[in-house]
Amino acid sequence: MKHIISITGIFLILACDPFVTEFPDSSDPVMFKASNASGTTYVYDGLAIKVVTWNIRFGVGRFPFFGDSCGDSVIADNESVEANMAAIADAINAMDADIVLLQEIDLESKRTGYLNQVQYLLDNTYLNYGSYASTWEADYIPSDGIGRINMGNAILSKYELTDAERIQLKLRTDQSDLVQYFYLRRNIIKARIPALSQSGKDFFAVNIHATAFATDDTKEQHINKYIEVLGNIDAGSGIFVTGGDLNSVPPGSVIDFCESDMCVNDDFHTENADPYHKEGSYFENFTGEPDILVPLYDTYDAAIDTASYNFPEHFTHAPSTSMIDDTTVTMYDRKLDYLFTNGTWDSGSGSTHQAVWELSDHMPVSATFMPADD
Amino acid sequence: MKKLILLCVFNGLLLAESKSWDSHSAYLLPQKRWEVGLFQPFRFGYSETIEYSTFPLWFFVMPNVSIKRIEKDMAGFRTASRFKLMYPTPLLNMLARTGIGGMIDPNFQMPPMLGLSASWLMSKPVAGLDLTLKGGLDLGITLDDLDPRSNIDLPLVYHRLGIFYNKWGIHTGLDVQKNLTKRIRVLLDLDLRLLPGLADVQSNPDLANLMGDYSLEHKLLLIWNKSDRFRIITGYKLVKGKYPYGSDMRLLPYIPMMEQWVPIIEFQWAGKRK
Repeated sequence: MKHIISITGIFLILACDPFVTEFPDSSDPVMFKASNASGTTYVYDGLAIKVVTWNIRFGVGRFPFFGDSCGDSVIADNESVEANMAAIADAINAMDADIVLLQEIDLESKRTGYLNQVQYLLDNTYLNYGSYASTWEADYIPSDGIGRINMGNAILSKYELTDAERIQLKLRTDQSDLVQYFYLRRNIIKARIPALSQSGKDFFAVNIHATAFATDDTKEQHINKYIEVLGNIDAGSGIFVTGGDLNSVPPGSVIDFCESDMCVNDDFHTENADPYHKEGSYFENFTGEPDILVPLYDTYDAAIDTASYNFPEHFTHAPSTSMIDDTTVTMYDRKLDYLFTNGTWDSGSGSTHQAVWELSDHMPVSATFMPADD
Repeated sequence: MKKLILLCVFNGLLLAESKSWDSHSAYLLPQKRWEVGLFQPFRFGYSETIEYSTFPLWFFVMPNVSIKRIEKDMAGFRTASRFKLMYPTPLLNMLARTGIGGMIDPNFQMPPMLGLSASWLMSKPVAGLDLTLKGGLDLGITLDDLDPRSNIDLPLVYHRLGIFYNKWGIHTGLDVQKNLTKRIRVLLDLDLRLLPGLADVQSNPDLANLMGDYSLEHKLLLIWNKSDRFRIITGYKLVKGKYPYGSDMRLLPYIPMMEQWVPIIEFQWAGKRK
C-alpha cells in the first residue's frame, strides 16, 4: 500500500508541471547532441573559427505569420517547414560554420509540425553539439490557434559545449499581466567550448535575442545586460564570440520603418494614430535608443565594422510581408543582426548572406575568428 | 442473428435493474428520474430499459446525445450498451478564431463531423466493491477534408477529437465504487483511449513517432450524497498520454495563471418527472 501511495504521489507531482514555463535569473539550458556525433569527432587545429548568427524564424521562411508581419497565417504546413529546414541545414553546411548562434528556433511547437528543430539541424549539418534556451514555452497558448509552443535561442557547435547558462532578460512592462503570462521570456544563452580554448583562456559563445516590440525601455535593459555578461567574461580573461538578433539598428541608421512596415488598414504617424508608431518598426522609443549599440562597437571587434554597417549589402532583415510594390518583395531594408568578439575577426571576413533571404525574415551574418598569437 | 438480438432485448427487459447516481455503470436510472450536474450530462430514465443523456450546456454548439440500453446479463454481470452521437463542428468553428480564445488556426474551416461511439458496460458487486468494466468502438466521420493541423493538443481534448483525424478509435476502462459510509462514496476509474494506426498517418518519418495514439485517464472522486436529490463530488483527474510532441502527464483541473492544481468541485441535482 505504501508503494502505491508513493508512486501515486510521484505521478501527481510530475503531473503538475507549470502550464507556462517561467525561468529564474540563471538556469541550465537543454543540451543536445547529434545522433551521429560519435561518428565525427572534430579536433581543433588552432586555426580560424567560423561563426554564424541567424534568426531562422522557426523554419517557416517568408510564411506570412500573423505575429510579426502583416500576415494572417498561424500553423505552417509540415512539408514547407521541412523543405525550409533542409535548406537552412544546407546553408549552414555551405558556410562550414564551427559555431552557429540561432534565434527563433522551435522545439516541438504546433505551428511548425512539432519538429525538434535543434535536433534536426544537428542531425543534418556538420555540427555535433547544441545548447537550447527557451524564450517562449507553454503547454498551450489559447490564442489564434497557436497551441503548444516552445521557441528559443540555441548555440550549435562542432565542438562540445560545457557550462552552458540561460540568463533571463527583463520582461516587458508595457503589457497586461495576462498577456505577459503567455508572452515571451527572452534570454541570453552562454556556453563554454573547451576545445577552442585560446592560449589557456576559456572560450565562450554567447547568443542573444533582444526584445523587438517593447515600447518601454526593456530593450535598453536587454542590451545593458548583454554588455554586462560580455564584460564579465572579458574581465575573467575569457575569450568570446557573440552575436544575435539585437533588434536594434546601427548608429546612424534610419530609425523609423513604420511606413514601409505598415499593413493594410494600419494607421501610423497621423493625428489619430494610436500608437503613433508601429511596434517593432520604430527605433527611438527611449532616449538614446538609436545609439544603443555604440558601447558594443566601441569595446569589441564587430564582424561588420562601423564603416559599412549601414550599407544595404549588410542589411539583415525586412518583415516577411514588406513589399516594394505589388509584385516586388522587400528582401531586406535594415540591419538587426550582429557578431562581436573581444578577440579579433579576420579582417574582411564579415559577411551578410543575403542570398538566402527566402529562408527567414533575417539573413545570417558570419565572420571568422582569428586565434591570438601566443 | 435477428433472433439473438430479440433474445438480448427480451432478456434485457426482464433483467432490467435501475440505480440512482450511477452514470458510470451498467445500471440505468429509475424510470422518469433525471439527474444533472454542473459538468455532468443531463440524464433521464426514459423507461425501465432505456436512459437518455445529453450535455445541455454544450448542446447548442455541440449537439450530442447518448442512449444507454439494458442488455442481457453476462457471467453474473449486469450489462448495458451505450451509444453516443456528437456533432462538434459548430463548436470547433467557434474556436477557430483570432485573438484570445482561439484554439484552432482561424484559417481552417472545420467540415461537418459526426462522432459515433458504441460501448459495452458490465457491472457487478465484487467483495464489497461495485465494479464496472467497459469497452467500445469510436468512429469519426468527416464529410469533407479535415486538416490535421486543426488539432487541439490539450489533454482530454486531443484524443477525443483524434477519432476524426484517425477515423476510428477504441476505448476501454474500469470503474470501482465503494460506500465508505452511508452517505459518502468513493469512485476510482481508469480509462484507456487508443487511436490505432495514428502514428502511421503522417507520411514523414521525422514526424511519425511524434503522433499521439493513446491516452490513459484516471479519476478519483469522493462523493457526498446529501440526499436522493443532491450530491457534491470532489477529486482529481490524471491524464497520461502520447501527443504529437511526445508523452505528457497532467493533473486536472489545473489553473494556468495560478500554476496550481485545484480539486474538482461538482454539484449534482436529481428529481423525478411526474
